[in-house]
Amino acid sequence: MIKRILAWVAILLFAAFSLYPIIYVISVSLRGDNAFQTQSLEIIGPNSTYRNFVDLFTKTDFLVWLKNSLIISSVTTFAGVALASCSAYALSRYRFRGRNSMLFALLTTQMFPATMLMLPFFIILSQLHLIDSFWGLFIIYSSTALPFCIWQMKAYYDTIPRELEEAALLDGCSRWMIFTKIILPVSSPALVITALFSFMSSWSEYVIAAVVLQDPQLYTLPLGLRSFQASLATQWGLYAAGALIVSVPVLVLFISISRYLVSGLTMGSVKG
Amino acid sequence: MRYYLFLLITFCSMAAQAEKMRIHVWHQMIYGHRQVLAEVLREFEKQNPDIIVQATYRETEELRSGYQSAAMGGSGPELVYGPSDQIGPFATMGIIRPLDEVLGAEYFKQFDPLAAPTYNGKHFAIGDGVGNHLMLIYNKKLLQSPPKNTDELIEFGKRLTVDKNGDGRVDQWGLVFNYTEPFFFAPFIPAFGDDFIKDEIKPNLNTPALANTFQFILDMRDKYKIIPKECDYETANALFKDGKSAMLINGDWSWGDYKEAKIDFGIARIPMVSGTGKWPASLVGTKAYSLNVNMKSPKHLEAAVKLLTYLTSTPVQLQFAEKVGTLPSNLDARESDIVKNNPLLKISADIMEVGHPLPIVPEVRAIWDSLRIQYQKVLAGSLPPQVAAEGAQNLAEKQIAEMNEVLQPDVGAYIVKAIFALVILGGLWMSRGSLMGFIKGFQGPNRFAYYMMLPAFIGIFAVIVYPFFYNIAISFSNFSLRTFQDWSIVGFTHYINALMDPKFYSLLLKTVIWTVVNVFFHVTLGVFLAVVINQVMPFKGFWRALLIIPWAVPQYITALTWRAMFNQEYGPINIMLQKFLHMSPIQWLSQPTTAFAACIITNVWLGFPFMMIVALGGLQSISNSLYEAARLDGANAWERFRHITWPLLLPVMAPAALLGSIWTFNNLNVIWLVSNSGEPGDQTHILVSYVYKAAFNLYRYGYAAAVSVIIFLILVIWGLGMLKSQYKKETQ
Repeated sequence: MIKRILAWVAILLFAAFSLYPIIYVISVSLRGDNAFQTQSLEIIGPNSTYRNFVDLFTKTDFLVWLKNSLIISSVTTFAGVALASCSAYALSRYRFRGRNSMLFALLTTQMFPATMLMLPFFIILSQLHLIDSFWGLFIIYSSTALPFCIWQMKAYYDTIPRELEEAALLDGCSRWMIFTKIILPVSSPALVITALFSFMSSWSEYVIAAVVLQDPQLYTLPLGLRSFQASLATQWGLYAAGALIVSVPVLVLFISISRYLVSGLTMGSVKG
Repeated sequence: MRYYLFLLITFCSMAAQAEKMRIHVWHQMIYGHRQVLAEVLREFEKQNPDIIVQATYRETEELRSGYQSAAMGGSGPELVYGPSDQIGPFATMGIIRPLDEVLGAEYFKQFDPLAAPTYNGKHFAIGDGVGNHLMLIYNKKLLQSPPKNTDELIEFGKRLTVDKNGDGRVDQWGLVFNYTEPFFFAPFIPAFGDDFIKDEIKPNLNTPALANTFQFILDMRDKYKIIPKECDYETANALFKDGKSAMLINGDWSWGDYKEAKIDFGIARIPMVSGTGKWPASLVGTKAYSLNVNMKSPKHLEAAVKLLTYLTSTPVQLQFAEKVGTLPSNLDARESDIVKNNPLLKISADIMEVGHPLPIVPEVRAIWDSLRIQYQKVLAGSLPPQVAAEGAQNLAEKQIAEMNEVLQPDVGAYIVKAIFALVILGGLWMSRGSLMGFIKGFQGPNRFAYYMMLPAFIGIFAVIVYPFFYNIAISFSNFSLRTFQDWSIVGFTHYINALMDPKFYSLLLKTVIWTVVNVFFHVTLGVFLAVVINQVMPFKGFWRALLIIPWAVPQYITALTWRAMFNQEYGPINIMLQKFLHMSPIQWLSQPTTAFAACIITNVWLGFPFMMIVALGGLQSISNSLYEAARLDGANAWERFRHITWPLLLPVMAPAALLGSIWTFNNLNVIWLVSNSGEPGDQTHILVSYVYKAAFNLYRYGYAAAVSVIIFLILVIWGLGMLKSQYKKETQ
């Protein structure tokens, strides 16, 4: 009995811990512009207003940024899933020279401090004239998330019994058909996670986008949000409102697929 | 590929030229100014139908680093607009064009000399206004006339700092300002006796004047208690706009904001220092337009110059003066009634009389940085003022030397080049078998595998591998402020410097602590919550979804949110601690230890859901029958966890923890955003954030690249060790 009570206390405590910052953002977004500094803990204060949300959609380019972010994120997600699922399959099912070192090289890419890839990135992108175009971002976003996604997919494929394929091979299926008709359908948890990671990496990335995109009409959501933070006077209310709206799609995505996350993200050590 | 791309681009640009010319402007004007800019640009486009102007706002630091990278890559906006202290670095790097090449000597004579600064004898920028200076702004509702000297300032401040409702918290402050930032306290230094820069270039920080200024700020905070314990720009601004502060030290750019907030305010000189009888000297400068060196054609240049002269012309300056109250730099415009009849501008001009011009040389950046570091240590109580002043001087001299250093190639350069060549040739030779095998593989039985992998590996190569080797090359080079355009391989100097520096090891230690503490909490919390949810709780899905939230919100949003929550006066964390636990407020962000703790708390919050999900996945695979058997044997809950759950969970958690610690080791975002790039006094840095600062703030690209290669090597060696021991355990 005591154990149960303790468990409830712990869970409620942590639920509060994980929810509170979001509640705080909500409360800032509902305050008027000048009421950022307050010593009250009320979430919805007496002067609450939804004006910030209205302003966000009517007075700023929020919808344009939203559209850009959606385009970039969906292309990235699609490319990321396609590239990762194919190459991971090869790494899982085939034995060829250099396979182990490739796998290890993939892992080591995670160890490089990303900050120092930036400078070369910028030099290369501007030399290729990919500044101010979505193409530069497509390429960077879909490739940077790849190493993790490939490992993730490969670990999952490893748990799928080979007998499934062997039977189909005897029936005369081509390898591509086996891959698309047998392997992919049973890998949905891993595919969902790969999609999620690719999506997240582009949905919330800021630093690279800030250099690649210079035309405000091409801004993504993080860039747009940042522009509310004028050098010395942040429009906190607008920022908070925007931050909430940026977070919502990811939140919904996460919550709706949290079931898949559990089965897909076990690093392949456990049968799915 | 490049060739086709080139063709495509020429084609596109030809098509574009046939229509209209595009001129890009990057600026960092705040909101009100941006609106005026938009108006004047519309007017320009009407006058020049063949030109389209695209103005882009960038935050000051981003404008600087973004422009550097873009210009280095041969692109960037035609015009760049920013505070005058960026002119020196840009000119040194050779990424802005001397204006004397395109505008005659007569042109510059129309301007206040402050707005047409020269660097190495040439004009690199032209300002559209003069000012940017600090002053005392006071709320007329709370204070009729401003204090004239610091004694009065303190007296008024004490009277106006009040706790209205008697809850032990101040509700109205006497004075607020962004006093942790050196720019805002610098005016006091000359008033205490000595300027902090000599001969426009040399740091002059080891002076009684600086120590006394440190002490003065400390006294205002601790002895007289007329300024808040923690106060950044946002806080000061918001308090003043809310009428919760009687006085504020801020610049001329902020007037528009207060007008809009309907504050009836007056402006005055920052009060004279009573002890010395000297006035604080605000730094007076200009915000100026410069021309990019990369311009596609003479026609482009011509259009850009046309725009530049338009933006600095009298009518445009008068529009800015009228709408946002800038003081024109154009001497004709100064004579206009708009300027002469503006009471604010009149007082403002009077304030400027005691001001000092803001030097534009690159060295100033190092001086600010050292001043900031030492000053914040004084504020945090970890250094006495006199010692800090001496330290600031030494640090500034060291940083200036490092920044200006141009390394010459030594023997190391030949060794590096030889090693590079050997590695490439040797690599090719050693892997000739695999390489041939690889090429043959396209016909062999594994060709399906090759085709499947090819696209992903091209992507990874282009985006990760190639830049990685590029970075290695930079790490052996003298790439820095003075060799921005033509750097060359010089040898091992950066590696030797980095490894000989005691600071490196203390940072490494801190990074290890950061990683261990974070990953420990991520894993223990993750496993604990997973076990609780899995075994005890109803509605598993609901709790899982709730606890996943921190993972789902974009990092830059959460980091900034936590920063706001840690605010000493207005952050909900302290308010809760006081209300519910009756603790006294913690100075989260102004003490090095608590600031580091704040970063850790934020990162723990961000990271535990990932581990929880992995643990939940692991738990699913543990068969219930094991637990039932253990129960029959009389094992209690702890024994069941110890002997069943943990050993079976370990193979799932270990790779996740490995990956998690790599990510944590390299986590820049949280430290950078929560501690506002290493505050207080650069004492919250971990290795990556330190590298980032070295590269982008002090232009030491080569050094930063070398340190990041070292970080990479540390992780590879450590990661290999972990993988090996893991592998051994599994095979045993």
